[in-house]
Amino acid sequence: MAVFDTPQEAFGILRPVCVQLTKVQTTENVERLQAQLQTVSDSALQELQEYVLFPLRFALKTPGPKRESLVQSVVQCITSILSTTCVKKQDLLQELFSELCLCLSSPSGLQPPAPLSEELKLTVIQALHVLMHSAYGDIILTLYQPSTLPHLGFAVSLLLALAEQEKAKQIKLAALKCLQVLILQCDCQEHHRPLDTVETRQCGNLFASFLPGISIALSRVITGDIKQGHMVTVSAIRLFYQTVCLVMADEQLATITQDEEKPSGEQSRLSELVVHRGPDWVKSTADKLSLLIHKIVEFASLHPHWKVRMELVELVHLLMLKCSQSLVESVGHLLKAVVGLVNDESNEVQSKCHEILRSIAELRTVAENRDLADVLSENLHSLATALPRLMNSQDDQGKFSTLSLLLGSLKLLGPKVSIVLNSAAHLQRLSKALMQVLELDVADVKIVEERRWGPEDSLGEPLGSLQHGKGQKKYFRFFIDERIFLLIQQVCRVLGYYGNLYLLVDHFMGLYNESVVYRKQAAMVLNELITGAAGLGVDVLHERETAVSTEDLKGTITSILEEYTDQANWYLTTSIDTEGTSDELTVKHSRVRAISRGAHSSSLISSSSPSSDPNPTIRSMNSNIWQICIQLEGVGCFAYVLGKEFRLLLVSVLYPVLEKAGDSTLLISQTATGTMVDVCRACGYDSVQNLINSNSDYLVNGISLNLRRVAHQPHASRVLEAMLRHSDASLLPLVEDVIRDVLSALDQFYDDRASSFLGVLSTLVAALVQWFVVVKGKEHPQEQNLEQQRKQGKGSVITPMVQEVEQFFLDYIKQKQIAEGNLPAMEEEEEEVQALPPEPEMDDSGAEGETPLPAHAQIAKDVMERCIHLLSDKSLRVRLKVLDVLEFCVIVLHLHENHLLPMAHRAWPALVTRLINDDPLVVLRAFKVLCTLAEKCGDFLRRRFSKDVLPKLAGSLVTQAPVSARAGPMYSHTLAFKLQLAVLQGLGSLCEKLDLGESDLNKVADACLMYLSAKQPVKLQEAARSVFLHLMCVDPDATWLLLNQICCLLPYEPPHPSLQPVKLGGMGRQRTEFTDNVLGLLGELQRRETAAFQAGPREAPEPQPPSLTEALG
Amino acid sequence: MALPPPDPQFVLRGTSAEVHTLHFYCGGQEPDYPILFSGSSNGLIHVWNLKTRRVDTILDGHGGKSVYWVEAIYGRDRLLSQGRNQKICLWDLAEGRNTVTDSVFTENVGFCKCSLLKVAQGHWLMAMPGKDLDEVQVLELPSKTSVCTLKPEADAKPGMPMSLKLWQPDFGSCPFLLAGYEDGSVILWNLSGGKILSRLACHQEPVMSLDFDSEKTKGVSGSSEEVLTVWSLDEQQNLKVQKTHKLVNAGIADVAIRQDKKILATAGWDHRIRIFGWKKLKPLAILDYHTATVHCVSFSDHSRPSERLLAAGSKDHRISIWSIYNQTSGALHCPLETRKPD
Repeated sequence: MAVFDTPQEAFGILRPVCVQLTKVQTTENVERLQAQLQTVSDSALQELQEYVLFPLRFALKTPGPKRESLVQSVVQCITSILSTTCVKKQDLLQELFSELCLCLSSPSGLQPPAPLSEELKLTVIQALHVLMHSAYGDIILTLYQPSTLPHLGFAVSLLLALAEQEKAKQIKLAALKCLQVLILQCDCQEHHRPLDTVETRQCGNLFASFLPGISIALSRVITGDIKQGHMVTVSAIRLFYQTVCLVMADEQLATITQDEEKPSGEQSRLSELVVHRGPDWVKSTADKLSLLIHKIVEFASLHPHWKVRMELVELVHLLMLKCSQSLVESVGHLLKAVVGLVNDESNEVQSKCHEILRSIAELRTVAENRDLADVLSENLHSLATALPRLMNSQDDQGKFSTLSLLLGSLKLLGPKVSIVLNSAAHLQRLSKALMQVLELDVADVKIVEERRWGPEDSLGEPLGSLQHGKGQKKYFRFFIDERIFLLIQQVCRVLGYYGNLYLLVDHFMGLYNESVVYRKQAAMVLNELITGAAGLGVDVLHERETAVSTEDLKGTITSILEEYTDQANWYLTTSIDTEGTSDELTVKHSRVRAISRGAHSSSLISSSSPSSDPNPTIRSMNSNIWQICIQLEGVGCFAYVLGKEFRLLLVSVLYPVLEKAGDSTLLISQTATGTMVDVCRACGYDSVQNLINSNSDYLVNGISLNLRRVAHQPHASRVLEAMLRHSDASLLPLVEDVIRDVLSALDQFYDDRASSFLGVLSTLVAALVQWFVVVKGKEHPQEQNLEQQRKQGKGSVITPMVQEVEQFFLDYIKQKQIAEGNLPAMEEEEEEVQALPPEPEMDDSGAEGETPLPAHAQIAKDVMERCIHLLSDKSLRVRLKVLDVLEFCVIVLHLHENHLLPMAHRAWPALVTRLINDDPLVVLRAFKVLCTLAEKCGDFLRRRFSKDVLPKLAGSLVTQAPVSARAGPMYSHTLAFKLQLAVLQGLGSLCEKLDLGESDLNKVADACLMYLSAKQPVKLQEAARSVFLHLMCVDPDATWLLLNQICCLLPYEPPHPSLQPVKLGGMGRQRTEFTDNVLGLLGELQRRETAAFQAGPREAPEPQPPSLTEALG
Repeated sequence: MALPPPDPQFVLRGTSAEVHTLHFYCGGQEPDYPILFSGSSNGLIHVWNLKTRRVDTILDGHGGKSVYWVEAIYGRDRLLSQGRNQKICLWDLAEGRNTVTDSVFTENVGFCKCSLLKVAQGHWLMAMPGKDLDEVQVLELPSKTSVCTLKPEADAKPGMPMSLKLWQPDFGSCPFLLAGYEDGSVILWNLSGGKILSRLACHQEPVMSLDFDSEKTKGVSGSSEEVLTVWSLDEQQNLKVQKTHKLVNAGIADVAIRQDKKILATAGWDHRIRIFGWKKLKPLAILDYHTATVHCVSFSDHSRPSERLLAAGSKDHRISIWSIYNQTSGALHCPLETRKPD
């Protein structure tokens, strides 16, 4: 394109056009020139620059009004020339600069800019932009002399006005861009010569004059309508901080001395315009800027577009970097901005903030600059003061940003935190603010209501199911958002990380003790402080100089724990009936609750809870529950902090925690369980069970000492319960000792506190059953089966016909011999041997008699002894529970018959009273115990049963039968029904186990017969049938006869005419209410006999010793 | 109103036998923790770590026969133990070792506890019951050479020695031995001459234990009867009964004066530990925890008075540890419990 390379040729081409333009200034001519310029090479044009510019400048300078289009095209032409050439002359530059500026000025000169078309404005701005770029080398600096100040000022104000007032976004942007060039901060790609220090200072001096104007105008642009688009705001912010950095840079200001000479002499008028940046000026400017910065920060940090916020962060960065001393007043605002944006929703902004905060922190600007630290601590103070108010008034979002700010300030203060907090005022405010913010909502009734039912809890769950450090979800009065709590948590941790641990702990401990109102919050803060002090879960900007030593931590934690587990803080009223409910826990039948009211009001009077509040409200109980939970969480935290070192503290802590794990309030027991898991993990135990087993000595110690205090006995027994529940047989030797303590404590307080011990006794014997009976049973299932078979065999081996008849006679002869006193001693012995299945490895002391009982059996025996006394307790619930315990004892002891039988003998009178003469509930329970006892003791009880109990039972069955026969469907919900049912269900097996005599069996059969009636409730019929099924085992013939007396369908023909015909009572009777059941039973009997007959030949030889036949012979 | 008697600070379990003797060692500096040695009737010596409250080591060297005296020498690294197998063993416990390095065979079959006195750096005197029933032998340790044999004159017939206490008025001066005998008398022996200096019949029954305060030159003895006797030693080396205190229940198995000479503890056959002010024998407290005879009491020698503990070992296999009267000021002026034993 460049056709004309040499200036001569170019000149030849351009001259006519230029001449033409000079003569007639029209748009066409300008365009022609423009067209010709295209054909001239850059170098040639450079030579002819001034020549070509002349007509153009002339066109602009011509006095009188000009057409806008002409001016526009002229300026465009100038722009194109300048864009390819450079201005080498100072004068030219200055003149062009002012001429261009004039294009936009209004004729009156007072109100820039003139009301011109937007295109023209844009063109001129661009021309200025290009002009600045085309200035050659140092030439540009000539613009920045005091003498050119007016020109420069004019341009600046012009551009600012454009940026501020124009509507078009393009113009605004161009104006801002141009201003940027003007202050020598152009960020375009072209190479700009970097300024040296002196030059920079000069420029700084110069622009100091414009700073007020620029900053005010820009702040207006920045805080203008959001609709102007984010680009404008972004560049305005950028321009703002660049200008401020240029003028207020610490580096420059440091070199300016107080008495610097003002440029004097001929330029005195101009010199008045130049500002001397002395300290006073700096101070006042900084004050004013601080207002603007505050405004900008407030506005921009909430700007919806992230780039604006990003630019704001950039602003903070640069100002903090370059002007932190001069703008010390504004540092607060700046930090607030960046700290507040740390948790911005845009990731870029977030990471930038982090980066900046870190760089600020690393520069130690804060730490070393006393002023900054002052500013920060002042911020902190005012923030802390305002915090409670803000927490009341702001929404969650607002609270979030406020707290972010608090956190950021703390992080920035870093190690200075400890110094700041040495000021009592700061600490006071901050702590009060935290106390208020963390106030819990304690209105929820559910927390108080929710109870841990059933003896099993979740301690046995696998470790993984509970997460560390989560804690219970708390409900705060002043906020809902979980993030806010996390922030507060961080605040506390940062405090702990940097602060003086002793001071802080002491202070918050003081608050903890000061008032119940603060107690929960203070505990929460303390927990987090310690976590932070250990450097766990805390996110900081710079490392602290000295970490807290483990020893110090341990000391602090020990003292906090001492306070937490102090009686006054640990044993709080969490439910109205602490005693009653803990007892109810182990009562299995929920219906008992309905009648237990009377019982537990008495136990309430006797209970003397250490901190019993006469009138606990739901609110205060809820609050107490939370306090305990927070303290428990604290224990978990501390364990986490100390790791294995915590093992030493288990001496004092494990017991109280376990105590709470057995608490009846669901929340507390859950939390305590979580704490156990935390502790377990921290101390390196692989399971809670392991934890308990390894530290059982500490627990035992606690239990034993607490048993000595009446008020603490329920707790102690609860811990023992928890221990027993979560451990295995290996624990027994360890707790044996303390079980004796429990028993002796029980001996001392039979009257009033029995119920609190029964819980633990019941758990104890249940555990013994679990450990020693069930486990053994599993190990030797075969033996048990054998025994069963043996027992069954006794009843079911009925070989009919010839063999049977033979056997019958053999037996008859034998019985007769016995009756006559002729005892076949040898055979008895043999049977004895067979009857006792050998249990070689078992310490079956029953057989040897004198050898000491194994520990578990001895304990069971001791417990049983107490139970005998307690069987006649006046409290219904106690009696019920005692029966439970008794049953377990019997099960444990059944392998040691020599001990069981005497105990059974002693227990019998009391048990009989329960069976005969007590509340139906107790009768029911006692009957179950009786069944168990009968099962284990067998015929030892036969005579007693038939004498003491059977008549009464049979009697009651008989009297109740008509009632139940008449009753409606609701009857099955009554206690009487349940009792009938239980008796009927148990009676059959009792008869079998006790091997009752004929007359007793008849009694039973007579009583039960009524229940075979179809009028009886179905369940009772079933139960009655079961009785008869059992009777069939014991004495099939008698049963057969009895049943046939009622109803007999089959005619029995005698096999031989010499025998008399069979007459049975039931023959020929009409169908009655009994028919169905009786026939069913007879059918069953028939079936069994046939089965036995078929199986007989194989089974028969075994039970019959050959010697019998010989004896017959 | 008097406060209720305190509970033990903690209870050490796990000896699984009667505890016959206790000895504290708290001399170590910070990283070292206080330890308690206990000897029990099954012949084992348990070394308890009082920080973790657990057994550190179990020493078995008396063939299952009961151990009735233990004392540490050379800091915590060496231990002397006396057992019913007629042996006095010297244990090396340094660096986790637990071996018997030396032993002395005592020909006596009684159950009189030995007494140890440090006479110079690295030199001790040990009094132990001698070959004849009424004889006391004094050995020098570590050389095991016999210093003297103290045998009462034939007509004195005090019976067997039951308890011994070596002491010296000032460090370096001639040591004395106080011995309580079967006939209820306490005899002061001069070791250098092997002569009886004084004899005081202060009990009707055998002297079960005695302790002596060399500063105030007075001592206390307990016997199987219900009397606690305080006697003093005057300048003429004569023993004189100063005061007796009548107890309700008979039998004092052990007496111990705390190192600061302020209080005295007795181990009672009635399961109770009694605390008296040493100055006037004022009853201060009855510590009731054990469920069987208390065999021994011992005070710890911790450098911080507030951490000085009292330990009692009992027939019920437990060792109870008490933290009492160890607040430095005023504690003695407000007795915890002054009720009369019933």
